[in-house]
Amino acid sequence: MSFLQPLLLLGLPLALAPVIIHLIHQLRRRQIPWAAMMFLLAAQRMHKGLSKLRQYLILALRMLAVAALILVIGRPLAGGLLGLTGGAPDSVIVLLDRSASMEQKLLSTGTSKRVAALHNLTEAIEEAYGARSKLTLIDSATLEPTAIENAKVLPDLPQTGPTDTAADVPALMQAGLDFITANRTGRTDLWLVSDLRQAGWNVGGGRWKALREALASLEGVRLHLLAYSESPEADLGIVVEKTARRETADGAELLIDLRIRRSEPVSEPLTVPVRVVVNGLGSALDAVLQGDEVLLQAQAIPIDGNTKRGWGRVELPADANPADNVFHFVFGEPPPLKSVIVSEAEEVAVPLQAALSAAADPARSYDCAVLPPGRAAEIVWDETSLVVWQAPIPPAESAAATQLEAQVRAGRALLFLPPETPGQEPFEGVRWGNWRAADGAEPLLPEWWRTDAGLLAHTRAGTALPAGELEVQRWCELVGEGVPLARFGEDADRAPLLLRTSRESQSGAYFLTTWPGPGASSLARDGVVLFALLHRALQDGSASLGNAVQREAAAGSLGDDPSDWTRVDLDDPALVSSIDRPLQSGVLERAGASGDTAMLVALNRAPDEDAPQVVARSSLEEMFDGLDWRLHERTLENEKSLTNEVWRTFLMIMAAALILEALLCMPGRSPKESRSPMELWKEAA
Amino acid sequence: MPVDHSFLDSTVLSRLMGLPLNARRPMIGNASGRHRSPVKGSSIEFAQYRQYVPGDDTRRLDWRTWGRSDRFYIKEFEADTNLRLALIVDASGSMGFGPPQATRLDYGRKLAGTLAYLAAQQGDAVGLWGVGKDHRQKIPAKRGAAHLGVALNQLGGLRAQGGTTLLESLHEAAEQIRQRALVAVISDFFVPPLTLRHALQHLLFRRHDIALFHLLDPVELTFDFDRPARFVDMEGGDSLLIDPSLVARRYREVVKKYLTELDEVIRTTGVDYHRVRLGEPYEEVLARFLLSRLRSGGGRRSY
Repeated sequence: MSFLQPLLLLGLPLALAPVIIHLIHQLRRRQIPWAAMMFLLAAQRMHKGLSKLRQYLILALRMLAVAALILVIGRPLAGGLLGLTGGAPDSVIVLLDRSASMEQKLLSTGTSKRVAALHNLTEAIEEAYGARSKLTLIDSATLEPTAIENAKVLPDLPQTGPTDTAADVPALMQAGLDFITANRTGRTDLWLVSDLRQAGWNVGGGRWKALREALASLEGVRLHLLAYSESPEADLGIVVEKTARRETADGAELLIDLRIRRSEPVSEPLTVPVRVVVNGLGSALDAVLQGDEVLLQAQAIPIDGNTKRGWGRVELPADANPADNVFHFVFGEPPPLKSVIVSEAEEVAVPLQAALSAAADPARSYDCAVLPPGRAAEIVWDETSLVVWQAPIPPAESAAATQLEAQVRAGRALLFLPPETPGQEPFEGVRWGNWRAADGAEPLLPEWWRTDAGLLAHTRAGTALPAGELEVQRWCELVGEGVPLARFGEDADRAPLLLRTSRESQSGAYFLTTWPGPGASSLARDGVVLFALLHRALQDGSASLGNAVQREAAAGSLGDDPSDWTRVDLDDPALVSSIDRPLQSGVLERAGASGDTAMLVALNRAPDEDAPQVVARSSLEEMFDGLDWRLHERTLENEKSLTNEVWRTFLMIMAAALILEALLCMPGRSPKESRSPMELWKEAA
Repeated sequence: MPVDHSFLDSTVLSRLMGLPLNARRPMIGNASGRHRSPVKGSSIEFAQYRQYVPGDDTRRLDWRTWGRSDRFYIKEFEADTNLRLALIVDASGSMGFGPPQATRLDYGRKLAGTLAYLAAQQGDAVGLWGVGKDHRQKIPAKRGAAHLGVALNQLGGLRAQGGTTLLESLHEAAEQIRQRALVAVISDFFVPPLTLRHALQHLLFRRHDIALFHLLDPVELTFDFDRPARFVDMEGGDSLLIDPSLVARRYREVVKKYLTELDEVIRTTGVDYHRVRLGEPYEEVLARFLLSRLRSGGGRRSY
């Protein structure tokens, strides 16, 4: 319970006034000489117990009424379901999900989940905690703690503004936990604001267990989860999957592959107008949506023949989630697809090199080199789209390990193949185990592989890769957690054939647990799978190379100094601060050094932000089992405040107390059936 | 010391003078009077015949009966005697209830004084018992104007104070008033009815004619107060802080029970009981009292 006017509670001793007045009255009662004391004594004796009780009750009710009145004046607040009871803590930490999905709006008001949550939270903090608690904000985009002097400024801070970043709730929680641990915040209320999207929560990830244990070990930490989990209705989202410039007889054209998704499938074909802007010039096209998705391939947009590079965006009409209505893209001269194979075994390197040297796209140049592990330092990392590392994982902090980590961090591809002698060194939490061979003469076949995304996904035409026909005689076990993209069946204890260390698509390192050569697998013999796997990795890795690249909006997406970059898709680039530039979708340009071409980057939301699935309540309960936590579910339509002024309740208590007091003070009725003393008198007279 | 006889109203006295004060039982007086006596006397009213025994006055032989029956019978007549009026006036503190100059004792004084005067006027003996813890004044019943003056003086000098000794005084009166008398008790009777019954039976055992004047104020019956107050016992007991709204109903129940029990005592003992409401004209009370005795035929009509 907290109060908006706590100073008025100093008047609570006034509740004793009825007792004091009662005592004074007892001393100052008028005196009446009375003869018939025998009646009075008898009446009082009969009435004594009940009378005393009634008197005490009346006094108690009067005190209650006065106390209730003072509490009413003090404007009490109740968390109610919020559980804001227990007074203000020493610290309040707000963990704010600023991901793109938090920009889902209520069309009638234009209020987004983020804004609604901030206003609701600001009001609650102001009313419930006031200035008594130290307020800190940690947002999902930067994970940097910011001390807040006054909760009122919370909605206006740049750190609470909209972004197109992806949410990593475990990382956000970890940041909060680190802050609590580092600053010894004492009694702390941790407010996590989120839309509960599964993609951001990664419920199955291993970090939650450690987080739960760490939170449980902290004294006085209370977790409030302010959730806006409603999904938008009939929301359309658009993604540009591929852009390519092509020379034509009239000049040139830009070929764009578009994918439009709808949150709910349509029963009848729906025509969706799409606006395409290329280098500032707009055009329109219609997409006919059937079901919940449509893929428009190679949509040709005529461009000037001299335009070798440029930028653009596709736009959908406004709906409940504006964040997924726009997708930016850039195009330019594609970089050469350069790959390096670091291998200690020639029989492994040869099929790999053969696959990587073959041109999947005749318009691009391919270059693949093979180096022994000892010459890894010769790799030109910044130009290499894919590194295939078939050698022991280098020790952490070694130069090679640092370069490998940088390769992954930069968005370029890295594929590990098992060395003949696996070591103990891990990479991103995963290390090689022991070699195993298939039991008996029959080779193992992959039982499952991911077909919707990843290196073994179906082709764009929807054709499945023949991954199920692969025969594996030897494979190497993996120790650690990752995202399997293909795995064996029960015979091999569901061991992974292909694994990615990061849950995010197109990032992290890949582990292929067998060799392509004879005696290990049929990857080289049935080259389709190996070719597709390697070239997809190469393609993914090349996306971050060249002078026109696509990236996901994130804190480090523009490097260490975002101020070097300028928004080119806006008339007034200064509208976006340098802090927000890497966090918001758009097209940015960085001037190159003398003689170099300027770098163009299209920043967009992460594809996972379009997935509307939310974490189930049961999962939350499982995740926070044993913690002092409360879930406060809100919707954009629900304007209910987190805190409620409960003065009406106290007013009713006061009224009830006064009514009861009046009832108790009412003189009792004489029984009608018996004769009154005066009647007896008259009779006798 | 000047004596205040203002409790006597000559107008009331003159109006009540026409009503005789009769006893409901035969009285044994020491002088001839207007009241029936248990012994046979020489009045003109025939009483009975009884057989002659040696020693009887032969002048009372009824010769006519001897002539008819050849037996000697004595013809007896009712004896007339005077009345002893013993006035027992409660002078305890509770008798001071009421406004100044109109207290319960003042009212009782008027009743007692008027009765005493009426009795004296018809030649009866008048005695006075003023009872209270702080004073017990006993004036034996005697005839004569001088004695009446003494009794009235004592009556005028009574002050309401102290606790009540009514019951003790009634028992004492029963013991000390040896000859039959009309015992008129004027009190608020704030005593338990059952204990009062014993005292009355004691008096009845002595063959006294008992008349009770029960003086009550209406407010003592209704307890009609609206605000809490401290009620101070007029007989020196503790005071009580009472909220009438909480106690009034119980109070009335207690009063009702008391009156019911008192009625039962009156019914079983057969005493002459008059419940008097203060504020009621005392002349009416006395007229009612005298008339009821006239109708009951307790006294000899001697018009």
